[in-house]
Amino acid sequence: MITLLVNGERRTVDADPSMPLLWALRDLLGLTGTKYGCGTGLCGSCTVHVDGEPVRACLTSVEFASGNAITTIEGLSEDGQHPVQEAWVEVDAAQCGYCQPGQIMSAAALLARTPRPTDAEIDTAMAGNLCRCGTYQRIREAIHRAAEGGGT
Amino acid sequence: MNGVVKVSRRSFLRTTGIAGSGLVLGVRSLRANRPGFLDGATDAAANGFQPNLWVNVGEDGAVRLTVHRSEMGQGTRTACCMLLAEELDVDLESVEVIQALADARYGRQATSGSTTVRLNWIPLRQAGAAAKHMLVAAAASRWGVEAVACSTKSGSVIHPSGSESLTYGELAAEAAELPVPDDPKLKDSSDFSLIGKPRKLLDAPEMVRGQTVFGYDVMLPGMVYASVERSPVPKGSIGSYDAAAAKAVRDVVDVVELEPNATGLTNAGIAVIATNTWAAMRGREALNATWEPGPLATETSADYRLELERIASEGGRVVRTEGVFDVALAGADRIIEASYHAPYAVHATMEPPACTARVEGDTCEVWSSTQGPLWTAGEVSGALGIPTSNVTVHITFLGGGFGRKSKPDYAVEAALLAQKLGRPVKLLFTREDEIRHGFYRAESFQQLVATIDAAGNPTGWLHRTVFPGIGWDFEPGGSEPSGGELSQGMTTMPYRFPAIRMEAGTVPSSVRVGWMRSVCNTFHAHAVNCFTDELAHELGRDPYEFHMEMLGDARILRIGGDRQFPFDTGRLRAVGEAVAEMAGWGRSLPDREGLGFAMHHSFFSYVAMVAHVSVDPAGELTVHQVDCAIDCGPVVNPDTVEAQMQGAVAMGLTLAKYGRITLKDGAVEQSSFHDYPILRMPEMPRVNVKIIQTDARPTGIGEPGVPPTMPAVANAIFAATGRRVRDLPLEGQDLG
Repeated sequence: MITLLVNGERRTVDADPSMPLLWALRDLLGLTGTKYGCGTGLCGSCTVHVDGEPVRACLTSVEFASGNAITTIEGLSEDGQHPVQEAWVEVDAAQCGYCQPGQIMSAAALLARTPRPTDAEIDTAMAGNLCRCGTYQRIREAIHRAAEGGGT
Repeated sequence: MNGVVKVSRRSFLRTTGIAGSGLVLGVRSLRANRPGFLDGATDAAANGFQPNLWVNVGEDGAVRLTVHRSEMGQGTRTACCMLLAEELDVDLESVEVIQALADARYGRQATSGSTTVRLNWIPLRQAGAAAKHMLVAAAASRWGVEAVACSTKSGSVIHPSGSESLTYGELAAEAAELPVPDDPKLKDSSDFSLIGKPRKLLDAPEMVRGQTVFGYDVMLPGMVYASVERSPVPKGSIGSYDAAAAKAVRDVVDVVELEPNATGLTNAGIAVIATNTWAAMRGREALNATWEPGPLATETSADYRLELERIASEGGRVVRTEGVFDVALAGADRIIEASYHAPYAVHATMEPPACTARVEGDTCEVWSSTQGPLWTAGEVSGALGIPTSNVTVHITFLGGGFGRKSKPDYAVEAALLAQKLGRPVKLLFTREDEIRHGFYRAESFQQLVATIDAAGNPTGWLHRTVFPGIGWDFEPGGSEPSGGELSQGMTTMPYRFPAIRMEAGTVPSSVRVGWMRSVCNTFHAHAVNCFTDELAHELGRDPYEFHMEMLGDARILRIGGDRQFPFDTGRLRAVGEAVAEMAGWGRSLPDREGLGFAMHHSFFSYVAMVAHVSVDPAGELTVHQVDCAIDCGPVVNPDTVEAQMQGAVAMGLTLAKYGRITLKDGAVEQSSFHDYPILRMPEMPRVNVKIIQTDARPTGIGEPGVPPTMPAVANAIFAATGRRVRDLPLEGQDLG
């Protein structure tokens, strides 16, 4: 049994230690907000926070994640009131919505370390998160909006 | 007879499981041809989903609106609810949105062809209006006043005096006893309070919290996970595999063979079943499967292109003529010729195809990320050997569709596995599966020839297109391009040439061809717009002015439209003029920068674009901005139209820069985002969208933005560098 600290709760999973955190979250813990997109760290759909840092859950083993504080989209805020989530709704950033949990987790991590990012900083931080619907323009706008809201 | 019918309460309960009572209305499509679809359903099967387009006002006051189309990011659920709520006069925020089950009573339930608003603009409003009419009549009867003197607002009927009101919930029981009006009066557009106003997606709050349920998010008790190894070449058969090695992987519970289904939709496979996805994937690796590749293991992309060129050079079936092109050719002072090639491309939906299935006895329930619920029901029924009426299809949210999820192959596989295993199965395509086992946008080769007379006037236009038609997947001989495919940007070319000849060549394919956002428009629009730009350059003309001159005066074309949705070149001109103004067409730009113009009519909508690019001396392309004007008739949600244009530009840029699937011995060579890249945020240009509202019928928005993107960028690259982009994609080409 492996113990994971997910969204502030201690959870145990009966898993192969090499199992990527993505599948433990989704299949064993029922936290399906974290998405599979490629399994090889190319798309960012599975982005979660481990000790506040954005990581790809598809490349992070449960063994490695054990003992660290894991935050998923379900735990980013209690009620969707994180400034990034609010900004996403205000600018209507999502289309299909599938990649957006990963986008939001990357954006929240960016703003935690760079409260007022430039377009270039946003592009760099978000380049690993693919969106096939092409919502990038509104994501940029949402991040700027969240930055403004968070700074006042 | 209009499309609105009253259904029995028993039928409503049976098909929705909602215990609410009161006024229930459905919209019966005039095209419904299988009204008995639900006859086999039992009350026990009802589970809270709804199978038809309902307006339900419960006595508890709840207003439930059902959406029968699939949400894949194009704003369908929001738009459908806006149409219903507009005429019903309820607040959009107060309604409960219910996703319909597959049900033939809708007629066309497939979410494809950019049709949802176009085909439901009147029926959904009628459903809302009829409900409101009956609620008003019930109130008027209770008060003893004239119905016409009453008004409605936010889910209440207001007394003529203005001093008293009744909520729809309070009126529901009485309204349910009243006859359905034959022809409910629809609002005049000047009275719209919802339609035409920007609204945020109703589903966004759940999406940003990770609560939206996509195909792969469905969880059932006792469910196992399946990952399927398939033949790298369609119609290949199983050679050898090591089931014991797969079963030795922790958490793997079984290895099951899948036969190809009779309709050709699925191929042979080896499914590894496990208690979690990771184990199923690792078990697949341990299979060490080999395949007998079969008769289609012959195609290699370099040879295929030569074959397309050869067929094009021989000409083909004549599909449109005006004047006599050979006469124009004989009398030509100058002949201009260019050829365009675009490879196969794949959808790369962020959520790969996924479906969960449960089979109990001779009934089956699937939860599928599908654009084609009825096709899913039919294929599952056929594969399992059970009546279609015993198949329940739940439509989940789709993590992107773009045409891939019209095909129900993955639902068939999931259902077959659930039947074989006797327990619920969740099946997920890996990214590699999605890239390698898709239904691809056809590869194409096009030859264009224009003739110019001694006075410098264009006299003739010859367009030859060669690509495998979608029909080949299912019928022998089906690879001949269909009239529908050719009308996607080829035969609908609107420019006035005295002589026109268009020909289509037929070529077989060894991959399965499918619909991908805008389908054949993507390559036809590229060739037509780029070649027109080439002609302008050859004639020393401004490309935009030349496009407009060749388009000519406003007129209705005999092609590309129908009685309800005529192709009006005046509307195409208007979007062209609008975008030229937006972009400041004609302004001078620094060296190695350029503007490119393109316009295209598809899915009955009109879109024009100007791309602003720069190409540095090393050949690095930057697309700075894309200005876009669209006329799609009356707009339901302008916010969605803007979003769809932005997204279409991103998809068009991906096709322009990277979209390439190649084959070696019949097998797809690409596998994931490293060798099939899609646009990333740093590459995203600013996209400005102008919506030109016209007083016609609403037309498509999901697809029409893609086709003009590639030629606008290619023409801008020429303006910046003098290099023509005749082959797509750009990756690997020297633009320096």
